[in-house]
Formats: sequence, structure tokens, C-alpha cells
Amino acid sequence: MGQILKSIGEVSIQGVSLAKSGRDILNRISFNVTHGRVGLIGRNGSGKSTLARVVCGLIKPDQGCVLIDGIDVFKDRHQALEKVGILFQNPDHQIIFPTVIEEICFGLTQQGQSKDTARQMAQAALEKFGQAGWAERSISTLSQGQRHLVCLISVLAMQPAVIVMDEPFTGLDRPTTGKLTQILREMQQTVLHISHDLEALQDADRVIWIEQGKLQMDGAPNVVLPAYMAAMDVVGGQDAFADITD
Amino acid sequence: MLSLTSPIKTGFHSVPVGPKFASLMIASIVLFINNTLTFQALAFGFVLGLYLWPGTAFFSVGLKMLWPLWPFVLIVFLWHLFTQDTVAGVVIVLRMFSAVAVANLVTMTSRMDDLIGLVTWAATPLRRVGLKPRILAVSIALFIRFLPVLIEKGAFLVESWRSRSTKRASWRVVVPMALLALDDAETVAEALRARGGVDLVDD
Repeated sequence: MGQILKSIGEVSIQGVSLAKSGRDILNRISFNVTHGRVGLIGRNGSGKSTLARVVCGLIKPDQGCVLIDGIDVFKDRHQALEKVGILFQNPDHQIIFPTVIEEICFGLTQQGQSKDTARQMAQAALEKFGQAGWAERSISTLSQGQRHLVCLISVLAMQPAVIVMDEPFTGLDRPTTGKLTQILREMQQTVLHISHDLEALQDADRVIWIEQGKLQMDGAPNVVLPAYMAAMDVVGGQDAFADITD
Repeated sequence: MLSLTSPIKTGFHSVPVGPKFASLMIASIVLFINNTLTFQALAFGFVLGLYLWPGTAFFSVGLKMLWPLWPFVLIVFLWHLFTQDTVAGVVIVLRMFSAVAVANLVTMTSRMDDLIGLVTWAATPLRRVGLKPRILAVSIALFIRFLPVLIEKGAFLVESWRSRSTKRASWRVVVPMALLALDDAETVAEALRARGGVDLVDD
């Protein structure tokens, strides 16, 4: 992909706790990610998505903080925009503008680029992904997989040092998932990849397992993934629908 | 205000919806007849008593639900301070609290389908202009079900905005939200149709 990065982001999650309506969602989570692609796994309701939003600076933790290259991502939003980007699950809940080029330009103008520069950068980003002709396309004419790609390009165009992905390939067919995962592998940014698709995380650099808002396990994929699968099979045999804190 | 039904069971829960609403109507009228401070204070005390009767847990939930009225209280008090008529201000505020509290009490202790049933029954005269009560009933239920869903989708779009901008989300997120609502409406219509739709049963 040959991007010139401003920096490779170092994420430092320091003692993050967060409760909502009396329930603990995150419980003194601390870990550092300095490079590579790190998988984040856990049951539904374990706190992964909330953690993703805290790492991105969208939610303020009750305690603790997240620093990316020394920047507190919640307190310093301007700097945070340069440091971290997030890709959400559903493109339809994410794409705000009606055409592809507008959607990609949005983040760039918010970062301070002029309209013309933003447009040029957006067009360059499309070309890098081999979709130069998409600029004026209406989002509604794109397939789900194509919309996922637009979201990815919109985030990458801002050149963040860290990218958080919250189950970004949900509902996509195998070839599209394969293609997008290929793009992921070639990215040089630090990537925090939340996924239920354990197969996609086999070749991650590291996998972190979050359980009930706490750090359960942190290590190589070939260690954490089997342990997680074994534990989940046990849970599935009991009652998968019980509230997590029961 | 959408789903106020209280999980704390009270004696009020077993009173049928019709009499409850009739009492609510009478109570509202009575509250507006008398303008004296004594009467309004007594009325409010009575309403508080109604909330205290099922227990302190219910009472504190009821009080919490009056909190959203604070802007009105502020405005009314400021105005009456200005016109130097604080007694009238207190009367208005007490009446407002009593009326809202009594209405909340009815909603909190009535099941959703009973409420919908009541509204549908009250709408029977509209049959003459072609409105089937069942359609009204399903519409109310759909509205209550999907308004929080739409609000959540709006929140996602705002998140998407905030992850790429330090400025507050502008009106521009309303457009995709409206489109999502239309898409959802189509999907829900399909789901309804798959289960018989709204006009198969004629009641």
C-alpha cells in the first residue's frame, strides 16, 4: 500500500474503568500495544466495543485514561484525530454523506485540509485502492462489501497511527472478507481488531481476551484462541443467554 | 416516557385501565378548579401519599420521574419573582407536579397492551371514517418499539461523526438517519406481512 505514515502508534491503556447504569462494563483494564495487529476477543457484552470507543477517545472512562503516543485521546480531540481512527460494524450506521468522495473528504476537512486539498487526497486514496472511478458514485448504488471499503478508505485517508476495528467485516461473504483482510494485513498502522471471526485472527501478532470487562488472557494467537474456544464451548453447553454478570 | 411500567408491583397494578384513566381525567379537572395554595398543597400531599403507599422504592422512582420538570419550575419561579407574586408561582408549580405525578402513576402501573387497548377502544368512533382500530394499536406499539432503535442509530451516526471531527455533529446526520428509518420501515413491514399483517383479522 506504500503509505507514508506520520508515526506508528503506541497505545497505552491505563487502568480504564467504566460503569453504566450501575453495571461495571470495564474494570481496571491496562495493557499496551506498540505495533502490529492485535486481536481483541470476548463474549457479547464483555466490554470490547466499549473499550474500542474509549481507545478512540469517544467515551470518557470513569477512571484511567488511554494515551496514544502520549496524547490523551479523550481530552485532546484535535490531536486524537491524527492518532486514531475507528471502523465500525455497519457501514450504514457510519456513512454520513451521499457520495463516496464527500464521505472521504469529510475527515480530511475536519483535520484542517482545504476543500481542494481534501478532494485531491481523497481521490488519491481511491486510486490507491484501485477505485478511482468511485468518486462521484452514490453510496446507495454500492454493495455492502463496497460500502465497507468506502468506510475503510475514509478512515485510512486521515492517516491515523492507530486503527481500531469493531467487527468490521460482519455479514460479508467469504471473498470480500478475504480481500479486506488482505488489505488489513498489509497496513502498517497499529491495528486493534475486534472480531468474533477467530479464523481471521490466527495470523494476528497478538490476541487479547476480555471477559466481563477484565483482561482475561494476553498472548500469541495459538495460545489464546484455543483457550478461548474451549472456554466458550463450555459456556455454550450451559446457558449462552444468561446475563454475563449472573 | 416511552416505557414507564414499573417493575415494582403495587396495588394500583390490579386496578383496570378504564377506571384509572377516568380517575386521572377527574383528578386533572379538579386540580385546575381550585387556585388556593392550601388546596394545591393538600392535593400534592395526597399524591405523594399515593406514591408512598406501595413503599419507599416506588416513591423514589416516582420522584425521579418528576425531575425533567425542573426547567419549567425555574421559568415559573423566575417569572413570579419578577411579578412579585410568589404564591401564584408556587400554586402553579404544585399543580404541575400533582398533575404529572398522577399521570405518571397511571402509566407506571398499567400494562402497555392494556393502554393500547384503551386507546383503540376510545378510537372506535373513527371506524366511520375507515380507521381500523387494530391498525392504530399496532402503530402505537411499533412507534414505541422503534423510536429507541432509531435514536440508537442516530447515536451511531453521531459517533461516526465524532470519530472524524472535533466539531459537534451538524444537521447532516439527519439525512442518513431518515434513510435508515425508511429502510427499517420496509423491513418491519415485511416482517409484519410474514405474520399475517394488520388487516387479516377484522375486529
